[in-house]
Amino acid sequence: MAEKPQPVQVLYCGVCGLPAEYCEFGPDFEKCKPWLIQNAPDLYPDLIKEAGAGDADKVSDQLQSTSISSDGSSKPKEEVKRLPGGKIKKKEKQEVIIEKVTRNKRKWIKLNDASKKLGKKFATGASVVKGPTEKEQIDVQGDIAYDIVEFITDTWPDVPESAIFFIEDGKKVSALNVE
Amino acid sequence: MAISTWKTCCKAVNSEILVLQKYFMFSSEEVSAQNQVKASVQRKIRQSIAEEYPGLEPVLEDLLPKKSPLIVAKCPNHLNLVLVNNVPLFFNIRDGPYMPTLRLLHQYPNIMKKLQVDRGAIKFVLAGANIMCPGLTSPGGVLDDEVEAETPVAIMAEGKQHALAIGFTKMSAKDIRTINKGIGVDNMHYLNDGLWKMERLE
Repeated sequence: MAEKPQPVQVLYCGVCGLPAEYCEFGPDFEKCKPWLIQNAPDLYPDLIKEAGAGDADKVSDQLQSTSISSDGSSKPKEEVKRLPGGKIKKKEKQEVIIEKVTRNKRKWIKLNDASKKLGKKFATGASVVKGPTEKEQIDVQGDIAYDIVEFITDTWPDVPESAIFFIEDGKKVSALNVE
Repeated sequence: MAISTWKTCCKAVNSEILVLQKYFMFSSEEVSAQNQVKASVQRKIRQSIAEEYPGLEPVLEDLLPKKSPLIVAKCPNHLNLVLVNNVPLFFNIRDGPYMPTLRLLHQYPNIMKKLQVDRGAIKFVLAGANIMCPGLTSPGGVLDDEVEAETPVAIMAEGKQHALAIGFTKMSAKDIRTINKGIGVDNMHYLNDGLWKMERLE
């Protein structure tokens, strides 16, 4: 009985992250619909009828806008900033995680210098903290969400704005890291 | 006087309300520690998983390779995550049995016993609610009579192909059928909860 079970590949909705059949229970089924029509037409056959009934244009518009928004990630409230180099900046108060993605450029930003600059610029404490995995973070005190974006793009012209994401949690739990 | 009325009040309420116990409503920032476990502990974990999920044995080598470091992340609520290459694969609470993440279960759907809830329960389970007996005994639900209490199970949904949640039975399937009141299965992990969203731990 040594047959290896093969992993099943599940189609997860590009919009809500759930298996496509659960999109109707997801946060925003309307947004999922255009994606579903493209990618999983057999699951929701009614959608095609809806769309087909005269709104072919609307659907393709929606598709375009959905794909643009998922590429640009420009929603101010829900973006995620990720650094492959492992740089994460945090705020104490809002649990905002800002990481940077340097996908195309592969330029690391020197953490020590960065933390000094951040500290100077915002006149608060900033320190480099190493986590247990590869990640390294810069903890910055205080509330600097909006300023950070400008500051990063100004100081390091290598990093394009589109590479910066932004997470906001609604939580009030303070960050666990080094004070 | 006040206490006794309060107690009866609670009893009446309990059978109606859905108790929300969200184990995975935290972000990756609340992971308090990540430790690479030593070989002896790694062996114990592998063994425990192999016993609990014999269906996984042939692929266990690939999922939890002996060479790859197993990392255990500690999270709030006595929760431990077993990570390989920064991907969470299993979790357990205190010293309880290891349970697979939903993503893993979707890939290997037949490693756990399945219980099915009716359609009406889906949105509650997706909000973190525990699974009440009526959800399993109603026409849309399916109970596997062999399932005992205190067992990890996959929660399936009426009309859906993929698992909705991972549960830990509080009552045996037989009791669920006969008593048909109260919480039948604890909802440990469900679609789109904190752990689902954490595809990797950076």
